[in-house]
Amino acid sequence: MRDVAIVGAGMVPFGKYQEKTLADIAWPAVKQAVEDAGIKKTDIEATYCGTALGGMMAGQRILKKLGITGLPIINIENACSSSSTAFREGWISVAAGVYDAVLVIGVEKLTKFGGGTLPLEKEDWEVSHGLVMPALYAMRARRYMHEYGLTENDIADVSVKARKHGVWNEDAQFRKEVTREEVLASRPVADPLKLFHCCPSGDGAAAVVICSAEKAKQYSASPIKVIGSEINSGKYMTGYRDMTSPEITLRGAKQLYEEAGIGPEDVDLAEVHDAFAIAELLYYEALGFCAKGDAAKLLADGETSVGGKIPVNPSGGLLSKGHPIGSTGVAQIVEIVRQLRGQCGQRQVEGAKVGLTHCTGGGVSGFDHGVCSIHLFAR
Amino acid sequence: MMSEELQEALNLAGDAVTRDADGTVRLVGSECGDCGKKAYPPSDVCPECMSENLSPIKLSTQGKLYSWSVVHAAPKGWTLPFIAAYVDLPEDVRVFAHIVDADPDSLEIDMEVETRMATLGSDESGAPFESFAFTPVQKGDS
Repeated sequence: MRDVAIVGAGMVPFGKYQEKTLADIAWPAVKQAVEDAGIKKTDIEATYCGTALGGMMAGQRILKKLGITGLPIINIENACSSSSTAFREGWISVAAGVYDAVLVIGVEKLTKFGGGTLPLEKEDWEVSHGLVMPALYAMRARRYMHEYGLTENDIADVSVKARKHGVWNEDAQFRKEVTREEVLASRPVADPLKLFHCCPSGDGAAAVVICSAEKAKQYSASPIKVIGSEINSGKYMTGYRDMTSPEITLRGAKQLYEEAGIGPEDVDLAEVHDAFAIAELLYYEALGFCAKGDAAKLLADGETSVGGKIPVNPSGGLLSKGHPIGSTGVAQIVEIVRQLRGQCGQRQVEGAKVGLTHCTGGGVSGFDHGVCSIHLFAR
Repeated sequence: MMSEELQEALNLAGDAVTRDADGTVRLVGSECGDCGKKAYPPSDVCPECMSENLSPIKLSTQGKLYSWSVVHAAPKGWTLPFIAAYVDLPEDVRVFAHIVDADPDSLEIDMEVETRMATLGSDESGAPFESFAFTPVQKGDS
Protein backbone atom coordinates (compact mmCIF):
# COMPACT_ATOMS: atom_id res chain seq x y z
CA MET A 1 0.00 0.00 0.00
CA ARG A 2 1.31 3.46 -0.80
CA ASP A 3 0.86 6.72 1.09
CA VAL A 4 -2.22 8.81 0.36
CA ALA A 5 -2.93 12.52 0.95
CA ILE A 6 -5.84 14.91 0.78
CA VAL A 7 -5.22 17.82 -1.58
CA GLY A 8 -8.60 19.50 -1.75
CA ALA A 9 -11.54 20.03 0.61
CA GLY A 10 -14.91 21.72 0.29
CA MET A 11 -18.30 21.86 1.93
CA VAL A 12 -21.48 23.87 1.90
CA PRO A 13 -22.87 25.32 5.13
CA PHE A 14 -25.18 22.74 6.68
CA GLY A 15 -28.76 23.93 6.96
CA LYS A 16 -32.19 23.58 5.45
CA TYR A 17 -32.35 23.66 1.67
CA GLN A 18 -35.83 22.31 1.11
CA GLU A 19 -36.20 24.13 -2.21
CA LYS A 20 -33.00 22.67 -3.68
CA THR A 21 -32.39 19.26 -5.22
CA LEU A 22 -29.74 16.95 -3.78
CA ALA A 23 -27.51 17.71 -6.76
CA ASP A 24 -27.90 21.46 -6.32
CA ILE A 25 -27.02 21.19 -2.64
CA ALA A 26 -23.88 19.19 -3.42
CA TRP A 27 -22.20 20.58 -6.52
CA PRO A 28 -20.78 23.72 -4.87
CA ALA A 29 -18.99 21.53 -2.29
CA VAL A 30 -17.51 19.41 -5.05
CA LYS A 31 -16.44 22.41 -7.10
CA GLN A 32 -14.83 23.95 -4.02
CA ALA A 33 -12.86 20.77 -3.32
CA VAL A 34 -11.69 20.42 -6.92
CA GLU A 35 -10.64 24.08 -7.10
CA ASP A 36 -8.98 23.86 -3.70
CA ALA A 37 -6.94 20.93 -5.02
CA GLY A 38 -6.10 22.78 -8.21
CA ILE A 39 -6.65 19.52 -10.04
CA LYS A 40 -7.96 19.34 -13.61
CA LYS A 41 -11.27 17.57 -13.54
CA THR A 42 -10.00 15.22 -16.23
CA ASP A 43 -7.31 14.03 -13.79
CA ILE A 44 -9.96 12.68 -11.41
CA GLU A 45 -10.08 8.98 -12.14
CA ALA A 46 -12.99 7.84 -9.99
CA THR A 47 -15.58 9.13 -7.53
CA TYR A 48 -16.97 7.56 -4.36
CA CYS A 49 -20.21 9.15 -3.22
CA GLY A 50 -21.76 8.41 0.17
CA THR A 51 -25.43 9.04 0.91
CA ALA A 52 -27.85 7.13 3.11
CA LEU A 53 -31.21 8.39 1.90
CA GLY A 54 -30.34 10.36 -1.22
CA GLY A 55 -31.74 7.83 -3.65
CA MET A 56 -30.29 6.12 -6.70
CA MET A 57 -27.13 7.37 -8.37
CA ALA A 58 -26.60 10.44 -6.25
CA GLY A 59 -23.02 10.70 -7.53
CA GLN A 60 -24.10 10.80 -11.17
CA ARG A 61 -26.83 13.34 -10.41
CA ILE A 62 -24.30 15.64 -8.74
CA LEU A 63 -21.38 15.23 -11.12
CA LYS A 64 -23.31 15.76 -14.32
CA LYS A 65 -23.81 19.34 -13.13
CA LEU A 66 -20.04 19.82 -13.25
CA GLY A 67 -19.29 17.62 -16.25
CA ILE A 68 -17.23 15.20 -14.18
CA THR A 69 -18.57 12.17 -15.99
CA GLY A 70 -17.34 9.24 -18.01
CA LEU A 71 -15.46 7.84 -15.01
CA PRO A 72 -16.29 5.18 -12.43
CA ILE A 73 -18.81 6.66 -9.97
CA ILE A 74 -19.48 4.40 -7.00
CA ASN A 75 -22.46 5.19 -4.75
CA ILE A 76 -22.25 3.96 -1.18
CA GLU A 77 -24.88 3.56 1.57
CA ASN A 78 -23.79 2.81 5.14
CA ALA A 79 -26.24 4.86 7.26
CA CYS A 80 -24.54 7.78 9.03
CA SER A 81 -21.16 6.36 8.00
CA SER A 82 -21.98 6.44 4.29
CA SER A 83 -19.37 9.00 3.34
CA SER A 84 -16.72 7.92 5.86
CA THR A 85 -17.10 4.54 4.18
CA ALA A 86 -16.85 6.21 0.76
CA PHE A 87 -13.68 7.94 1.92
CA ARG A 88 -12.16 4.67 3.01
CA GLU A 89 -13.03 3.04 -0.33
CA GLY A 90 -11.41 5.97 -2.13
CA TRP A 91 -8.36 5.69 0.11
CA ILE A 92 -8.06 1.95 -0.63
CA SER A 93 -8.23 2.55 -4.36
CA VAL A 94 -5.41 5.11 -4.28
CA ALA A 95 -3.33 3.27 -1.68
CA ALA A 96 -3.57 0.10 -3.77
CA GLY A 97 -2.42 1.94 -6.85
CA VAL A 98 -5.61 1.44 -8.83
CA TYR A 99 -6.06 5.21 -9.22
CA ASP A 100 -3.80 8.20 -8.64
CA ALA A 101 -6.52 10.75 -7.82
CA VAL A 102 -10.15 10.31 -6.75
CA LEU A 103 -12.99 12.44 -5.51
CA VAL A 104 -15.04 11.56 -2.42
CA ILE A 105 -18.45 13.12 -1.77
CA GLY A 106 -20.85 12.99 1.16
CA VAL A 107 -24.36 14.32 0.67
CA GLU A 108 -27.80 14.23 2.29
CA LYS A 109 -31.10 16.04 2.12
CA LEU A 110 -33.12 15.27 5.25
CA THR A 111 -35.63 18.11 4.89
CA LYS A 112 -37.44 15.98 2.28
CA PHE A 113 -38.79 13.94 5.21
CA GLY A 114 -40.37 17.00 6.79
CA GLY A 115 -38.62 16.79 10.19
CA GLY A 116 -38.92 14.40 13.13
CA THR A 117 -36.69 11.49 14.01
CA LEU A 118 -34.55 9.82 11.34
CA PRO A 119 -36.57 7.30 9.30
CA LEU A 120 -35.24 3.80 10.05
CA GLU A 121 -35.66 0.45 8.32
CA LYS A 122 -39.11 -0.85 9.24
CA GLU A 123 -38.14 -4.49 8.66
CA ASP A 124 -35.95 -4.19 11.74
CA TRP A 125 -37.66 -5.79 14.69
CA GLU A 126 -36.92 -3.10 17.27
CA VAL A 127 -37.88 -0.35 14.83
CA SER A 128 -41.17 -2.17 14.23
CA HIS A 129 -41.67 -1.88 18.00
CA GLY A 130 -41.02 1.84 18.19
CA LEU A 131 -37.27 2.20 18.59
CA VAL A 132 -36.02 5.62 17.48
CA MET A 133 -32.41 6.80 17.60
CA PRO A 134 -32.89 9.34 20.43
CA ALA A 135 -34.36 6.57 22.62
CA LEU A 136 -31.39 4.31 21.98
CA TYR A 137 -28.93 7.02 23.04
CA ALA A 138 -31.18 7.98 25.96
CA MET A 139 -31.02 4.43 27.27
CA ARG A 140 -27.23 4.51 27.00
CA ALA A 141 -27.30 7.79 28.93
CA ARG A 142 -29.52 6.51 31.71
CA ARG A 143 -27.44 3.39 32.23
CA TYR A 144 -24.22 5.41 32.23
CA MET A 145 -25.72 7.87 34.74
CA HIS A 146 -26.62 4.92 36.97
CA GLU A 147 -23.21 3.26 36.78
CA TYR A 148 -20.88 6.28 36.82
CA GLY A 149 -22.84 9.02 38.57
CA LEU A 150 -23.09 11.20 35.47
CA THR A 151 -25.58 14.05 35.92
CA GLU A 152 -28.00 15.79 33.56
CA ASN A 153 -25.85 18.91 33.94
CA ASP A 154 -22.81 17.00 32.65
CA ILE A 155 -24.68 15.88 29.54
CA ALA A 156 -26.05 19.39 28.97
CA ASP A 157 -22.52 20.78 29.08
CA VAL A 158 -21.61 18.77 25.96
CA SER A 159 -24.25 20.75 24.05
CA VAL A 160 -23.05 24.02 25.57
CA LYS A 161 -19.50 23.33 24.34
CA ALA A 162 -20.69 22.22 20.90
CA ARG A 163 -22.75 25.37 20.43
CA LYS A 164 -19.87 27.54 21.59
CA HIS A 165 -17.58 26.03 18.95
CA GLY A 166 -20.31 26.31 16.34
CA VAL A 167 -20.46 30.08 16.74
CA TRP A 168 -16.99 30.20 15.18
CA ASN A 169 -17.82 27.95 12.21
CA GLU A 170 -19.50 29.62 9.27
CA ASP A 171 -20.49 26.20 7.90
CA ALA A 172 -22.41 25.27 11.08
CA GLN A 173 -26.20 24.99 11.14
CA PHE A 174 -26.41 26.46 14.68
CA ARG A 175 -24.28 29.53 15.34
CA LYS A 176 -25.74 30.71 18.61
CA GLU A 177 -24.53 29.85 22.10
CA VAL A 178 -26.84 28.14 24.58
CA THR A 179 -26.62 27.92 28.36
CA ARG A 180 -26.90 24.79 30.45
CA GLU A 181 -30.27 26.08 31.70
CA GLU A 182 -31.55 26.52 28.15
CA VAL A 183 -30.47 22.99 27.24
CA LEU A 184 -32.25 21.54 30.26
CA ALA A 185 -35.36 23.63 29.60
CA SER A 186 -35.65 22.60 25.94
CA ARG A 187 -38.47 20.20 25.15
CA PRO A 188 -38.04 16.52 26.08
CA VAL A 189 -37.32 14.18 23.16
CA ALA A 190 -36.33 10.93 24.84
CA ASP A 191 -35.82 11.42 28.54
CA PRO A 192 -33.17 12.22 29.81
CA LEU A 193 -32.35 13.76 26.41
CA LYS A 194 -33.87 17.12 25.53
CA LEU A 195 -34.07 18.80 22.13
CA PHE A 196 -30.73 20.59 22.56
CA HIS A 197 -29.04 17.28 23.36
CA CYS A 198 -29.92 16.10 19.84
CA CYS A 199 -28.31 16.95 16.51
CA PRO A 200 -30.61 18.91 14.20
CA SER A 201 -32.13 17.52 11.02
CA GLY A 202 -30.83 19.23 7.90
CA ASP A 203 -29.17 19.14 4.51
CA GLY A 204 -25.60 19.45 3.35
CA ALA A 205 -22.67 18.17 1.35
CA ALA A 206 -18.91 17.91 1.64
CA ALA A 207 -16.17 16.69 -0.69
CA VAL A 208 -12.45 15.96 -0.72
CA VAL A 209 -9.92 15.15 -3.42
CA ILE A 210 -7.35 12.53 -2.49
CA CYS A 211 -4.31 11.33 -4.38
CA SER A 212 -1.08 9.42 -3.94
CA ALA A 213 1.36 11.20 -1.62
CA GLU A 214 3.84 11.20 -4.46
CA LYS A 215 1.50 13.21 -6.68
CA ALA A 216 0.12 15.37 -3.88
CA LYS A 217 2.92 17.92 -4.02
CA GLN A 218 2.08 18.85 -7.58
CA TYR A 219 -1.36 19.98 -6.42
CA SER A 220 -0.96 21.28 -2.91
CA ALA A 221 1.67 23.05 -0.84
CA SER A 222 0.09 21.55 2.27
CA PRO A 223 -1.19 18.05 1.55
CA ILE A 224 -2.73 16.29 4.54
CA LYS A 225 -1.55 12.71 4.94
CA VAL A 226 -3.94 9.86 5.73
CA ILE A 227 -2.02 7.95 8.40
CA GLY A 228 -4.69 5.44 9.38
CA SER A 229 -8.00 4.16 8.06
CA GLU A 230 -10.29 1.76 9.85
CA ILE A 231 -13.82 0.47 9.37
CA ASN A 232 -15.77 -2.22 11.15
CA SER A 233 -19.26 -3.54 11.60
CA GLY A 234 -20.63 -3.96 15.08
CA LYS A 235 -20.84 -7.41 16.62
CA TYR A 236 -24.38 -8.76 16.59
CA MET A 237 -25.41 -9.69 20.11
CA THR A 238 -28.68 -11.29 21.15
CA GLY A 239 -27.84 -11.29 24.85
CA TYR A 240 -26.69 -8.84 27.49
CA ARG A 241 -24.29 -6.13 26.42
CA ASP A 242 -22.76 -3.14 28.16
CA MET A 243 -24.34 -0.08 26.57
CA THR A 244 -21.99 2.30 28.40
CA SER A 245 -19.08 0.90 26.44
CA PRO A 246 -19.31 1.39 22.65
CA GLU A 247 -17.65 -1.88 21.66
CA ILE A 248 -17.27 -1.08 17.98
CA THR A 249 -15.45 2.20 18.68
CA LEU A 250 -13.21 0.57 21.28
CA ARG A 251 -12.23 -2.20 18.87
CA GLY A 252 -11.77 0.18 15.96
CA ALA A 253 -9.67 2.69 17.89
CA LYS A 254 -7.36 -0.02 19.24
CA GLN A 255 -6.84 -1.43 15.76
CA LEU A 256 -6.29 2.00 14.22
CA TYR A 257 -3.74 3.21 16.80
CA GLU A 258 -1.79 -0.03 16.35
CA GLU A 259 -1.86 0.32 12.59
CA ALA A 260 -0.77 3.97 12.69
CA GLY A 261 1.85 3.37 15.38
CA ILE A 262 0.58 6.20 17.56
CA GLY A 263 -1.61 6.48 20.65
CA PRO A 264 -4.47 8.69 21.78
CA GLU A 265 -1.92 10.98 23.51
CA ASP A 266 -0.53 11.84 20.06
CA VAL A 267 -3.88 13.10 18.75
CA ASP A 268 -4.20 16.91 18.79
CA LEU A 269 -7.90 17.15 17.93
CA ALA A 270 -10.84 14.94 17.02
CA GLU A 271 -14.15 15.17 15.23
CA VAL A 272 -16.39 12.52 16.81
CA HIS A 273 -19.92 11.31 16.19
CA ASP A 274 -21.88 13.36 18.75
CA ALA A 275 -25.31 12.73 17.23
CA PHE A 276 -26.59 13.02 20.81
CA ALA A 277 -24.73 14.71 23.66
CA ILE A 278 -24.21 11.52 25.69
CA ALA A 279 -22.35 9.96 22.75
CA GLU A 280 -19.47 12.41 22.89
CA LEU A 281 -18.76 11.45 26.51
CA LEU A 282 -18.78 7.73 25.70
CA TYR A 283 -16.36 8.35 22.83
CA TYR A 284 -13.83 10.29 24.94
CA GLU A 285 -13.39 7.05 26.81
CA ALA A 286 -13.60 4.66 23.88
CA LEU A 287 -11.04 6.65 21.88
CA GLY A 288 -8.67 6.67 24.86
CA PHE A 289 -8.76 10.40 25.65
CA CYS A 290 -9.58 9.55 29.28
CA ALA A 291 -10.23 6.54 31.49
CA LYS A 292 -13.62 4.87 31.81
CA GLY A 293 -15.90 6.98 33.98
CA ASP A 294 -13.78 10.16 33.64
CA ALA A 295 -15.47 11.71 30.59
CA ALA A 296 -17.47 14.32 32.50
CA LYS A 297 -14.33 15.49 34.28
CA LEU A 298 -12.40 15.80 31.00
CA LEU A 299 -15.19 17.99 29.65
CA ALA A 300 -15.59 20.03 32.85
CA ASP A 301 -11.84 20.70 32.94
CA GLY A 302 -12.12 22.28 29.50
CA GLU A 303 -9.72 19.76 27.97
CA THR A 304 -12.04 19.02 25.05
CA SER A 305 -12.75 22.67 24.26
CA VAL A 306 -10.62 24.65 21.83
CA GLY A 307 -7.61 25.64 23.92
CA GLY A 308 -7.70 22.38 25.91
CA LYS A 309 -5.47 19.33 25.73
CA ILE A 310 -7.58 17.42 23.21
CA PRO A 311 -10.22 19.62 21.56
CA VAL A 312 -13.16 17.50 20.41
CA ASN A 313 -15.50 18.75 17.71
CA PRO A 314 -14.03 22.22 17.21
CA SER A 315 -16.36 22.43 14.19
CA GLY A 316 -19.32 22.37 16.58
CA GLY A 317 -19.81 18.67 15.92
CA LEU A 318 -23.02 17.08 14.79
CA LEU A 319 -24.86 18.90 17.60
CA SER A 320 -24.03 22.34 16.23
CA LYS A 321 -22.61 21.97 12.74
CA GLY A 322 -25.51 19.65 11.90
CA HIS A 323 -25.87 16.06 10.75
CA PRO A 324 -27.16 15.55 7.22
CA ILE A 325 -26.22 11.95 7.81
CA GLY A 326 -24.55 10.86 4.57
CA SER A 327 -22.41 14.00 4.44
CA THR A 328 -21.08 13.79 7.99
CA GLY A 329 -18.05 11.53 7.45
CA VAL A 330 -16.51 13.72 4.76
CA ALA A 331 -17.51 16.94 6.55
CA GLN A 332 -15.56 15.77 9.61
CA ILE A 333 -12.55 15.18 7.35
CA VAL A 334 -12.93 18.65 5.80
CA GLU A 335 -12.72 20.15 9.30
CA ILE A 336 -9.56 18.18 10.13
CA VAL A 337 -7.95 19.21 6.82
CA ARG A 338 -8.69 22.88 7.52
CA GLN A 339 -7.46 22.58 11.12
CA LEU A 340 -4.22 20.91 10.10
CA ARG A 341 -3.69 23.61 7.50
CA GLY A 342 -4.32 26.31 10.13
CA GLN A 343 -7.33 27.80 8.31
CA CYS A 344 -9.88 27.77 11.14
CA GLY A 345 -9.76 31.29 12.59
CA GLN A 346 -11.21 31.58 16.08
CA ARG A 347 -11.77 27.85 16.45
CA GLN A 348 -8.24 26.98 15.31
CA VAL A 349 -6.49 24.34 17.42
CA GLU A 350 -3.05 25.91 17.67
CA GLY A 351 -0.18 23.82 16.40
CA ALA A 352 -2.40 20.85 15.47
CA LYS A 353 -0.38 18.15 13.72
CA VAL A 354 -2.53 15.01 14.08
CA GLY A 355 -6.32 14.85 13.76
CA LEU A 356 -8.85 12.04 14.13
CA THR A 357 -12.32 11.52 12.68
CA HIS A 358 -14.82 9.06 14.11
CA CYS A 359 -18.15 8.28 12.46
CA THR A 360 -20.69 5.63 13.40
CA GLY A 361 -23.93 4.41 11.88
CA GLY A 362 -26.72 2.61 13.63
CA GLY A 363 -30.37 1.80 13.69
CA VAL A 364 -30.21 -2.00 13.40
CA SER A 365 -31.17 -4.05 16.45
CA GLY A 366 -28.61 -6.20 18.25
CA PHE A 367 -25.66 -3.97 17.36
CA ASP A 368 -23.97 -1.32 19.46
CA HIS A 369 -23.68 0.35 16.07
CA GLY A 370 -23.96 -1.19 12.63
CA VAL A 371 -20.80 0.49 11.43
CA CYS A 372 -17.96 2.66 12.68
CA SER A 373 -15.19 4.23 10.66
CA ILE A 374 -12.19 6.02 12.19
CA HIS A 375 -9.43 7.87 10.36
CA LEU A 376 -6.18 9.56 11.36
CA PHE A 377 -4.59 12.45 9.50
CA ALA A 378 -1.32 14.35 9.83
CA ARG A 379 0.29 17.35 8.25
CA MET B 1 -55.23 -15.97 17.06
CA MET B 2 -53.79 -12.90 18.67
CA SER B 3 -50.25 -14.10 18.22
CA GLU B 4 -50.83 -14.79 14.51
CA GLU B 5 -52.02 -11.25 14.01
CA LEU B 6 -49.00 -9.95 15.87
CA GLN B 7 -46.61 -11.89 13.72
CA GLU B 8 -48.05 -10.33 10.64
CA ALA B 9 -47.97 -6.86 12.08
CA LEU B 10 -44.45 -7.14 13.42
CA ASN B 11 -42.73 -9.18 10.74
CA LEU B 12 -41.73 -11.65 13.40
CA ALA B 13 -40.50 -15.04 12.32
CA GLY B 14 -42.21 -17.99 13.97
CA ASP B 15 -44.60 -18.06 16.88
CA ALA B 16 -42.95 -15.27 18.86
CA VAL B 17 -45.65 -14.31 21.34
CA THR B 18 -48.09 -16.73 22.98
CA ARG B 19 -50.27 -16.98 26.03
CA ASP B 20 -49.96 -19.74 28.60
CA ALA B 21 -53.12 -21.60 29.62
CA ASP B 22 -53.55 -19.17 32.52
CA GLY B 23 -53.33 -16.19 30.17
CA THR B 24 -49.74 -15.17 31.00
CA VAL B 25 -48.11 -13.49 28.02
CA ARG B 26 -44.97 -15.39 27.03
CA LEU B 27 -42.26 -14.62 24.51
CA VAL B 28 -41.02 -17.56 22.50
CA GLY B 29 -37.46 -17.32 21.23
CA SER B 30 -35.26 -19.80 19.46
CA GLU B 31 -32.55 -22.09 20.79
CA CYS B 32 -29.83 -23.61 18.66
CA GLY B 33 -29.71 -27.42 18.89
CA ASP B 34 -26.00 -27.36 18.05
CA CYS B 35 -24.40 -24.50 20.01
CA GLY B 36 -27.17 -23.61 22.47
CA LYS B 37 -27.40 -19.93 21.48
CA LYS B 38 -30.74 -18.38 22.36
CA ALA B 39 -32.29 -15.46 20.54
CA TYR B 40 -35.36 -13.26 20.53
CA PRO B 41 -37.14 -12.73 18.22
CA PRO B 42 -36.78 -16.34 17.10
CA SER B 43 -34.71 -16.98 14.02
CA ASP B 44 -34.59 -19.83 11.53
CA VAL B 45 -30.80 -19.77 11.41
CA CYS B 46 -28.39 -19.52 14.34
CA PRO B 47 -26.55 -16.16 14.47
CA GLU B 48 -23.66 -17.91 16.24
CA CYS B 49 -22.97 -21.10 14.24
CA MET B 50 -25.31 -20.83 11.18
CA SER B 51 -27.05 -24.06 12.15
CA GLU B 52 -30.65 -24.42 11.00
CA ASN B 53 -31.33 -26.93 13.78
CA LEU B 54 -33.32 -24.48 15.88
CA SER B 55 -36.23 -25.06 18.22
CA PRO B 56 -38.65 -22.72 19.92
CA ILE B 57 -37.87 -21.94 23.55
CA LYS B 58 -40.33 -20.46 26.01
CA LEU B 59 -38.61 -17.52 27.66
CA SER B 60 -39.10 -16.35 31.22
CA THR B 61 -41.96 -13.95 31.76
CA GLN B 62 -39.93 -11.83 34.18
CA GLY B 63 -36.72 -9.97 33.57
CA LYS B 64 -34.61 -7.03 34.74
CA LEU B 65 -34.96 -3.49 33.45
CA TYR B 66 -31.54 -2.71 31.91
CA SER B 67 -32.44 0.86 30.91
CA TRP B 68 -35.37 2.93 29.72
CA SER B 69 -36.40 6.24 28.21
CA VAL B 70 -39.64 8.19 28.13
CA VAL B 71 -40.03 8.82 24.41
CA HIS B 72 -41.74 12.03 23.29
CA ALA B 73 -40.83 11.96 19.57
CA ALA B 74 -41.53 9.00 17.30
CA PRO B 75 -43.12 8.29 13.90
CA LYS B 76 -46.87 8.67 13.52
CA GLY B 77 -48.92 5.88 15.03
CA TRP B 78 -47.21 5.42 18.38
CA THR B 79 -49.08 6.68 21.44
CA LEU B 80 -46.85 9.38 22.93
CA PRO B 81 -45.21 9.58 25.31
CA PHE B 82 -44.27 5.93 25.77
CA ILE B 83 -41.56 4.23 27.79
CA ALA B 84 -39.00 2.37 25.68
CA ALA B 85 -36.82 -0.15 27.47
CA TYR B 86 -34.37 -2.99 27.25
CA VAL B 87 -35.30 -5.92 29.43
CA ASP B 88 -32.80 -8.67 30.26
CA LEU B 89 -34.40 -12.11 30.51
CA PRO B 90 -32.60 -14.77 32.59
CA GLU B 91 -31.83 -16.81 29.44
CA ASP B 92 -29.18 -14.20 28.40
CA VAL B 93 -31.63 -12.64 25.99
CA ARG B 94 -32.20 -8.88 25.81
CA VAL B 95 -35.59 -7.69 24.56
CA PHE B 96 -36.60 -4.23 23.40
CA ALA B 97 -40.11 -3.46 24.62
CA HIS B 98 -42.43 -0.82 25.96
CA ILE B 99 -43.02 -0.46 29.68
CA VAL B 100 -46.70 0.08 30.41
CA ASP B 101 -48.88 0.77 33.45
CA ALA B 102 -46.01 2.45 35.25
CA ASP B 103 -45.14 5.91 36.52
CA PRO B 104 -41.75 6.71 34.96
CA ASP B 105 -40.59 8.18 38.28
CA SER B 106 -41.13 4.83 39.96
CA LEU B 107 -38.81 2.97 37.58
CA GLU B 108 -35.40 1.81 38.73
CA ILE B 109 -32.47 0.27 36.91
CA ASP B 110 -32.42 -3.53 37.28
CA MET B 111 -35.93 -3.69 38.78
CA GLU B 112 -38.03 -6.78 38.01
CA VAL B 113 -40.57 -6.44 35.22
CA GLU B 114 -43.03 -8.91 33.76
CA THR B 115 -44.83 -9.47 30.46
CA ARG B 116 -48.16 -7.99 29.51
CA MET B 117 -50.19 -7.30 26.38
CA ALA B 118 -50.80 -3.66 25.60
CA THR B 119 -52.11 -1.33 22.95
CA LEU B 120 -49.09 0.69 21.87
CA GLY B 121 -50.54 2.81 19.12
CA SER B 122 -52.42 2.42 15.90
CA ASP B 123 -51.55 1.20 12.42
CA GLU B 124 -51.99 3.08 9.13
CA SER B 125 -55.71 2.22 8.97
CA GLY B 126 -56.20 3.53 12.50
CA ALA B 127 -56.68 0.05 14.00
CA PRO B 128 -55.15 -0.44 17.46
CA PHE B 129 -51.61 -1.82 17.41
CA GLU B 130 -51.25 -4.43 20.12
CA SER B 131 -48.12 -6.18 21.21
CA PHE B 132 -46.32 -7.50 24.23
CA ALA B 133 -44.87 -5.09 26.77
CA PHE B 134 -43.52 -5.22 30.30
CA THR B 135 -44.71 -3.73 33.56
CA PRO B 136 -43.03 -3.53 36.99
CA VAL B 137 -43.67 -6.59 39.16
CA GLN B 138 -45.95 -5.48 41.97
CA LYS B 139 -44.76 -6.17 45.48
CA GLY B 140 -46.64 -9.18 46.78
CA ASP B 141 -46.75 -10.83 43.33
CA SER B 142 -45.17 -14.22 43.25
